[in-house]
Amino acid sequence: MLPARFSENRKAERQMEKSVRKYWPVFLLPTLIAFTIGFLWPFVWGIYLSFCKFNTVNKVTFVGLSNYSKIMLDNTFVHAFGFTALFTVASTLLINVLAFLIAVLLTRGIKGTNIFRTIFFMPNLIGGIVLGYIWQILLDGLLSNWGLPLLALNEKAGFAGLLILMGWQQIGYMMIIYIAGLQNVSPDLIEAAEIDGATPWQILTKIKIPMVMPSITICTFLTLTNSFKLFDQNLSLTGGEPAKKSQMLALNIYDTFYARSGAQWKGIGQAKAVVFFLLVVVIALIQLRATRTKEVQA
Amino acid sequence: MKKGDAIFFSRVLETLPITIPTTLPETVLYSVQRQKMFIENRKDKGEMKKKVVSVLLSAAMITAMLAGCGSKTEAPAGGDAPASEAGAEASAEAGASAEAGASEAAAPAASAGEGKVYYLNFKPEADEQWQTLAADYTKETGVPVTVVTAASGEYETTLQSEMAKSDAPTMFQVNGPVGLNNWIDYCYDLTDADITKGLTSEDYALKDSDGVVRGVAYVIESYGIITNKKLLQDAGYTTDDIKSFDDLKKVAEDITARKDELGFAAFASTGMDSSSDWRFKTHLANLPIYFEYQADGIDKTEAIKGTYLDNYKNIFDLYINNSTCDPKELSAKTADDARNEFLDGKAVFYQNGSWEYSSLSEKYSDDDITMIPIYVGAGDEAKQGLCTGTENYWCVNAEASEEDIAATLAFMNWCVTSEVGTKTMAEDMGFTIPFTTAEASPNVFVKQDADNTAAGLKPVSWNFTTMPSEEWKNALGSALTAYAAGTGSWDDVKSAFVDNWATEYSLNAQ
Amino acid sequence: MAVANMEKKQESKKTRMINLILTVVFSLFCIIYIYPIVMILMNSLKIESAISTSTAFDFPKAETFAGIANYIYGVTKMDFLSSFFYSLFITVSSVVLIILCCSMCAWYISRVNTLASKAMYYLCIFSMVVPFQMVMFTLAKTADTLKLNTPFNICIIYLGFGAGLAVFMFTGFMKSMPLEIEEAAMIDGCSPIQMFFRVVMPITKPTTISTAILETMWVWNDYLLPTLVLDIKKYRTIPMDIQYFRGSYGSVQMAPMMACIVITIIPVILLYLFCQKYIIEGVVAGAVKG
Repeated sequence: MLPARFSENRKAERQMEKSVRKYWPVFLLPTLIAFTIGFLWPFVWGIYLSFCKFNTVNKVTFVGLSNYSKIMLDNTFVHAFGFTALFTVASTLLINVLAFLIAVLLTRGIKGTNIFRTIFFMPNLIGGIVLGYIWQILLDGLLSNWGLPLLALNEKAGFAGLLILMGWQQIGYMMIIYIAGLQNVSPDLIEAAEIDGATPWQILTKIKIPMVMPSITICTFLTLTNSFKLFDQNLSLTGGEPAKKSQMLALNIYDTFYARSGAQWKGIGQAKAVVFFLLVVVIALIQLRATRTKEVQA
Repeated sequence: MKKGDAIFFSRVLETLPITIPTTLPETVLYSVQRQKMFIENRKDKGEMKKKVVSVLLSAAMITAMLAGCGSKTEAPAGGDAPASEAGAEASAEAGASAEAGASEAAAPAASAGEGKVYYLNFKPEADEQWQTLAADYTKETGVPVTVVTAASGEYETTLQSEMAKSDAPTMFQVNGPVGLNNWIDYCYDLTDADITKGLTSEDYALKDSDGVVRGVAYVIESYGIITNKKLLQDAGYTTDDIKSFDDLKKVAEDITARKDELGFAAFASTGMDSSSDWRFKTHLANLPIYFEYQADGIDKTEAIKGTYLDNYKNIFDLYINNSTCDPKELSAKTADDARNEFLDGKAVFYQNGSWEYSSLSEKYSDDDITMIPIYVGAGDEAKQGLCTGTENYWCVNAEASEEDIAATLAFMNWCVTSEVGTKTMAEDMGFTIPFTTAEASPNVFVKQDADNTAAGLKPVSWNFTTMPSEEWKNALGSALTAYAAGTGSWDDVKSAFVDNWATEYSLNAQ
Repeated sequence: MAVANMEKKQESKKTRMINLILTVVFSLFCIIYIYPIVMILMNSLKIESAISTSTAFDFPKAETFAGIANYIYGVTKMDFLSSFFYSLFITVSSVVLIILCCSMCAWYISRVNTLASKAMYYLCIFSMVVPFQMVMFTLAKTADTLKLNTPFNICIIYLGFGAGLAVFMFTGFMKSMPLEIEEAAMIDGCSPIQMFFRVVMPITKPTTISTAILETMWVWNDYLLPTLVLDIKKYRTIPMDIQYFRGSYGSVQMAPMMACIVITIIPVILLYLFCQKYIIEGVVAGAVKG
């Protein structure tokens, strides 16, 4: 019985595939064209240009690997990398720990849960540029009232400010994902553990956290890549001041590209972008492997 | 940024050729729910489905219609620049035929009928006036002129991204030899242009190493310390009492000592926000460079020695210690803040240039304000005049179509020769333009400069055009800001000035 | 029995106490959380000269109160309404286009098992990891060459650059959809196009909503792409406008800038409050599914 139905299914499936396949100009082509214009071609061209010297694309000369060897020339790239790496680690930890904590507390069924959830999520909808200026005004106000140097000449405050800003923006989003994860943990399981005399702490560490591991994977991945690729907030909050000390990689590349005049810089900027892209890929893969392994063990 | 948000790697990993066994309780649970849901959906909501389809379809249709309407109403939507819309289309056609008809259109300025002008303006304070002037020109000749003003400190960024476009600026500016070096491939040869012939002196033509004119100065400006004469009098001094750095220091410190009694400070805030920091990282920094060049008898160098940096420090210290606010707050002080302090009578001195005249003249009469030289205690102070020169050279984009180049040349020439053009530039913008046809400017600071020169004072030339790069200025600005706030030392400023000069020159040579 | 009951009662009392404390703590935390927005609102009502770093926290007083003057100034000077219109138009057209094209593409990928469709799928996933800086220069140039630099057709660029995420999300969902319904529809004589719009689209509604929300948030707030791609001679979006308040026209105008920030975030917040359920569900669906 079963094999017969199965093969019938396969037949229908194949038939459908055949009839759908003919319609590729309708289904596939529009996206493919736009994708080529908006991503594929610029990407391939970008890689090619990282080996060239150019100011506008009308005058391009091939220079081989020399752009890559010049990445370190203005030594801002290394600093930007260090700053970005530090920021990424700090913000990933801060956001995920806080978001998870709030999610745990908000699933206890306390009064006003919905209002709290609404408010915590809200900043996420505000754009990076706007957020940056809001916090610049606020933080400069605080710093000046405390008699400390303002953001524009205070690298540490710039770092802390970016961290607070990112936290403010992203905690709500991650919290929502964690809440969904926690709500999926079966109450029976927790009840069973309670009957067995598990403490709340044990329930949290032995049941809840392992059960929401997939959410943790997603959230760490999102915060990690968002922090690493941060641009708008960096541009508007500190603009890289003081003296590029709070400049992150994305802004550094933009700066090399558009703020420095001279034909040599565009190629170097493009080479930096390629390196940046490779870094993002490597980090994403490492992170996934790491949290995935934990998930399996759990 | 949001793009990465929903990258859910459970799937990615399943599909990527990395094999890690995965268990996803939620995903499984969820998809089971979903399947149940849509099967129910199918049973109960057969009617709903049709509705959803029709809603979706009509939504798609409305969008399509909107898109259609949008592109049709495009020109009116552009509102203030309908002419340039039409012009853009016209030029697209013209561009196509440009190569074919290049020989015919090769005579620039002969007829500007076909082309259009896109001017990327450097001076934000003159934005409104430029918009008006452009509209006047379009009204008079029918040639579309678009003026875009780059945000303060963003000129280079905007120019870089705009030049990469096919509809690039036809008219832009460079700040002198260093700027020209970066854009030389894009600067049209202006040697035989009418506008070059109209210059009062050949010094105002910016030439490349082969002696080809690539840029034309369009405004001569002066800067110094703008002084509120009345307040100075209230403090018991006149401008005659200030003839050297020591005098200036004495007066400023005396005013600071009696600040509470007088009700005003000596200097307006030395704002280090990007809207204002150029007054110090560029203009004030010109003085040590000028005196070093004078002492060494050179007009440019790839390795500055910083002989007069102590003088630079003295004047900067004087500014920040005798000002309206605590040096710590300077980093957030903007150009507006300083101007408003001066306008509100909260400060006697305000370092800025002749371009400020139009905003100051709204409040002060010509007798109330004057400009004195920036004394730094170097050179022959008795003979020192205002800092006078230019960093504004018009260039024409050599890559533009012949028609556009012709139209741009005609527009430039019109600005500096026609009655409307010269009048707007002199009166509304307060510019002194170095052309024989120029209208006398009512600008009191410009007159002051002329009087000074007549009295035998030697103007300080603008040598900051030889600064290696914008990057150098920014680094110096950051170092100055940090020094003012006490978070950095003067040694950092020195290093940003001297070491970075060599570094940036070597980078330029790459 | 009685003892157990007592214990339970006591414990629930204790839990209630903790919950009450938590409510209070969270309420305070929420006030801090929305304070930045309140502060901007407050400052946007002050006159320009009353805004400085040290007075950022003061309430507007009689002599510093500016009424809605900043709003009027900001809106007229920056031509804010047309920026608002452009932003809105770009967002709506891009999101509709992305949803439509990408769901079709995703369905094709999930139903047709050829090398081409597989390649397309992997390319889409790949494109999600690539940072924008990698393609910004070449993308701007490509868009410029093809004249895709007006608010009316920039949606094609957004479709191209945003396709990865949308195709990925739709494919994930569509692969989990059982084929029976579609097969039944095909036997009833539906053409693939009819089938897609009548059968597939309605079923994918949850994914459509979550994708639409994510893409809307991205496009509406995007700064760098429109800055580099749009013809800045004629068009500006809201984030570009806000950035322009810094330093354009020779000055930094904090008061009108804050007024415009308020105008920018109010519609977003209102929309959020009204569609909260969908937005939060969309985020969850997007995250858990995928």
